[in-house]
Amino acid sequence: MASLPPSPFDRDRRNRRTMIGMAIVGLVMLGLGFASVPLYRIFCERTGFGGTTQRASADVLVREAVGHRMSIRFDSNVAPGMPWQFRPEHPTQTVTVGARNMAIFLARNMSDKPVTGTASFNVTPLQAGAYFTKIQCFCFTQQTLQPGEAVRMPVIYYVDPKILTDSDNKDTQEITLSYTFYPVEQDKKPS
Amino acid sequence: MEKVKSLVLAGLLAFAPALAMNGPALAQQNAAVAAPAAGNETTAAADSASNAAAPAAEAAPAEKVAAPPRMKPTLGIGMPMPGEITLQKQFSPTGHTARWLHDVMLLPIITIISIFVLVLMLYVMVRFRRSANPTPSKTSHNTVIEVIWTVVPVVILLVIAVPSIGLLADQYKPAPKDALTVKVTGYQWYWGYEYPDNGVPEFVSNMLPKEKAEANGEPYLLAPDNRLVLPVGRPIKLIITGADVIHSFAVPSLWVKMDAVPGRLNEKSFTIEKPGVYYGQCSELCGARHGFMPIAIEALEPAQFDQWVLSQGGKLKGAGTATTAQPAAPAPAKI
Amino acid sequence: MTTITADHHGDHAHEHHDADHKPAFFQRWFMSTNHKDIGTLYLIFAIIAGIIGGAISGLMRAELAAPGIQYLQTWAQFSDGPEATLDQAYHLWNVLITAHGLIMVFFMVMPAMIGGFGNWFVPIMIGAPDMAFPRMNNISFWLLIPAFALLLGSTFFPGGTGNGAGTGWTVYAPLSTSGSAGPAVDMAILSLHIAGASSILGAINFITTILNMRAPGMTLHKMPLFVWSVLVTAFLLLLALPVLAAAITMLLTDRNFGTTFYDAAGGGDPELYQHLFWFFGHPEVYIMILPGFGIISQIVSTFSRKPVFGYLGMAYAMVAIGVVGFVVWAHHMFTTGMSVNVKMYFTAATMVIAVPTGIKIFSWIATIWGGSITYKTPMVWALGFIFLFTVGGVTGVVLANGGVDDVLHDTYYVVAHFHYVLSLGAVFGLFAGFYYWFPKMSGRMYNEFLGHLHFWVFFVGVNMLFFPMHFLGLSGMPRRYPDYPEAFAYWNKVASHGYEIMAAGMLIFFVNLVWSLVAGKKAEGNPWGEGATTLEWTLSSPPPFHQFETLPVID
Repeated sequence: MASLPPSPFDRDRRNRRTMIGMAIVGLVMLGLGFASVPLYRIFCERTGFGGTTQRASADVLVREAVGHRMSIRFDSNVAPGMPWQFRPEHPTQTVTVGARNMAIFLARNMSDKPVTGTASFNVTPLQAGAYFTKIQCFCFTQQTLQPGEAVRMPVIYYVDPKILTDSDNKDTQEITLSYTFYPVEQDKKPS
Repeated sequence: MEKVKSLVLAGLLAFAPALAMNGPALAQQNAAVAAPAAGNETTAAADSASNAAAPAAEAAPAEKVAAPPRMKPTLGIGMPMPGEITLQKQFSPTGHTARWLHDVMLLPIITIISIFVLVLMLYVMVRFRRSANPTPSKTSHNTVIEVIWTVVPVVILLVIAVPSIGLLADQYKPAPKDALTVKVTGYQWYWGYEYPDNGVPEFVSNMLPKEKAEANGEPYLLAPDNRLVLPVGRPIKLIITGADVIHSFAVPSLWVKMDAVPGRLNEKSFTIEKPGVYYGQCSELCGARHGFMPIAIEALEPAQFDQWVLSQGGKLKGAGTATTAQPAAPAPAKI
Repeated sequence: MTTITADHHGDHAHEHHDADHKPAFFQRWFMSTNHKDIGTLYLIFAIIAGIIGGAISGLMRAELAAPGIQYLQTWAQFSDGPEATLDQAYHLWNVLITAHGLIMVFFMVMPAMIGGFGNWFVPIMIGAPDMAFPRMNNISFWLLIPAFALLLGSTFFPGGTGNGAGTGWTVYAPLSTSGSAGPAVDMAILSLHIAGASSILGAINFITTILNMRAPGMTLHKMPLFVWSVLVTAFLLLLALPVLAAAITMLLTDRNFGTTFYDAAGGGDPELYQHLFWFFGHPEVYIMILPGFGIISQIVSTFSRKPVFGYLGMAYAMVAIGVVGFVVWAHHMFTTGMSVNVKMYFTAATMVIAVPTGIKIFSWIATIWGGSITYKTPMVWALGFIFLFTVGGVTGVVLANGGVDDVLHDTYYVVAHFHYVLSLGAVFGLFAGFYYWFPKMSGRMYNEFLGHLHFWVFFVGVNMLFFPMHFLGLSGMPRRYPDYPEAFAYWNKVASHGYEIMAAGMLIFFVNLVWSLVAGKKAEGNPWGEGATTLEWTLSSPPPFHQFETLPVID
């Protein structure tokens, strides 16, 4: 520290500089708070955090891990106020790890109005999310059903064989894939 | 409580006929849709009504297998005890490990630390009071002692951390393939249970009113009308979600607590060791009647559990797991 | 810490007429730019908020004294009209727990610790004439008034099932979004925004003051530990509160403008809110307790007539607690469904905090060791703090274990834990500081007998109130329940009696406060003797309106 007291003028300038610096720190944290929305999504997609599933294009080639079978369970939910019936055709499938599989979900619009729905999804155990890969899914887009219309909605997926070497998943024998269908309201835009 | 009772009665009268017409197969949709749409009072009524439909279904001729009799809770098992100062008695393997960690490791360690600090403080307070020690020392550093009180806590924490991390690995070990899977859904303010592999459709579980609970010899505020029936000795996998807001499915005597989050699924695996009734309560603030949506697990011997499944019109595992899960089963009949 | 000799010839006597010139009443109290006056305003505000928050906990303990719904439905008639239903009564319960939490955190502990004692003594302790930005300081205080008014006012507006915001102080989505229709929750959120803005401005002011306004010779490593604690706290505020602001802004837009940040229906995730909230919420608990650490360090040193043991260790332990406090947040979310390796990380990281906390506890005891202790009221409160904070700290180690938390999460064990570190930690720190500095602030001595009596009655009361909650939690009683099964009746009854004793203790405090202000003995500049080495004791009691017009030099 200087032995002479700083002049009031110097001090005011330094104070202003510190204040601006600190205000910037606060604003950056505020920005990070908002940026956490996309960052969290990217983080979940990259790491499978919270059971977030992975996505691959149809031309990705994966070696089947012959002899390694795993059970896949399908779970379906409809949100309150969603006038659909929605359930998997079969509650479980036994699949070969790495092999491409298709599961069918059945949906029916029980109301007398066209209803558009969108689905949220995740898998459990949560640590399996990084290895559950969808190639095609009705959950990628919004679905519209006419009054009384019933549809069969496919999901094409595979379980990444890397799951067999992941120590976090060494006890994973069954993966549950869960969907919840929500009505799409006009004023609700995806964030 | 009078008010609730009269509401329930009113609800019974108003909703019972409508429900009978809809048929129990739609009960799931009904329960899911009715709850948030209707006001609170009507919700209560509707819920009670769907339960009230049960006795009628029980009497229906289609029912071939009788449900096992409703199990009486045993005092001190699966419920808190008056004046209790410990964790509840545990009835699952992870519960034993966890309770061991708490009772044998954590509780003694924290008690010893607290008493050590207290004794140390009492000593300095007496030894270094002004009349006993008029001239204060000027010591303000001692590297050795500072290193000791940094390193010793680190060692203690490591001693705690090793079994603690092991316990976590145990608790979150996914269930084996042959586990019984039950779907649990939290609603404002009741629970829904569904057995997808056994074709038992969702039924809901509401709190018993005080008079009814007392008449049954069950603890009020812990006892629901329909219990979640589970087999003993078989791994169980609960898949848990919330319909409206976040709830939390908790049963202290089985060391189970998992949030029911809308729009996503959680799973929780455990095994029950002994037949009995195990009570729990919603453990995440979910609105007005957060304190009034209890949980009860009725654990039965496997044979009795199979009988219960059949009595609900369900199939035993292996008989039809790969078929579609949309049986025209009557609503569950309990009470 | 170095002994400080201050050059204060200009502070009393000679320039008395100048330094003590006070503006007229309105200008002095409503447009104040004087850090001591603003500190006084903060303390008065915190006392009022504390009375309201404490009265709410009295309502809660009255209702919980026995099983069954005793009074809630009667009380609900005040907020929901004479036709209040049972559900509205239950909702009122949630309003009470929410209000108690928010008031005690944002309108009692924070204003008293940082706004009150921080404002009063940080500038004096570093030898500065005032805060760096006196007018901003005034704004910080006056923002609290509308914030508090909004929160209290929200009780009378619809918030879902009944009137008022019944979301818990954590305001979790979706209960706080789709689960609570009506303006009450918007008002509560806005109240948090304003209180947060006030605290951020205050934090910037403190950081600038401490970094730039220190008297010549007052290096960072010579600053009293209370100033260190406020500096660390201010940084925590600056880093944590904007994240809360962002999180609750998104709650507002989800509620009112159709966004879906936390709504799975539009691709959002309710868990994200919890991550953001606790990223703020965990540092927030250190924001509440760190200034208390600082106060205790000053008091223990003063009344042992010894410098603080391990000064640098103490200062950097607080820095370490602040830093580690930012990477442990998800231990509040162990049951939300996190994969097992994430839980393992947060279990281990949380336990690490016990190490710097332990350093502080043992350093306080080492400070006393070899000292020459006088048992004045502040010292008694400080000793109470050290022990009770230890008890609250060790139960934190229990809760840190993710596997054990599976049964204790959201039970009364958690309530007991955080009341031991806050109600018996932060509040004991507040009382210790209040008695310690009361002569300095008011110029009058408090009554020593009443101070001791207050301590013992309060000590017995809060322990009787909160210790049984450990038992309730272990046997499984969940938090935020207006009614409970018969089995929990015994310990709840004990706890409610504990509240009565604690309330009697508070009565003694207010008697002492009034008596001392009216008839207390005149206080000397330094009533505590040679142990009191910080700069505030070199000034008169109360200090001149403007102190250090000639800066003191510290050697």
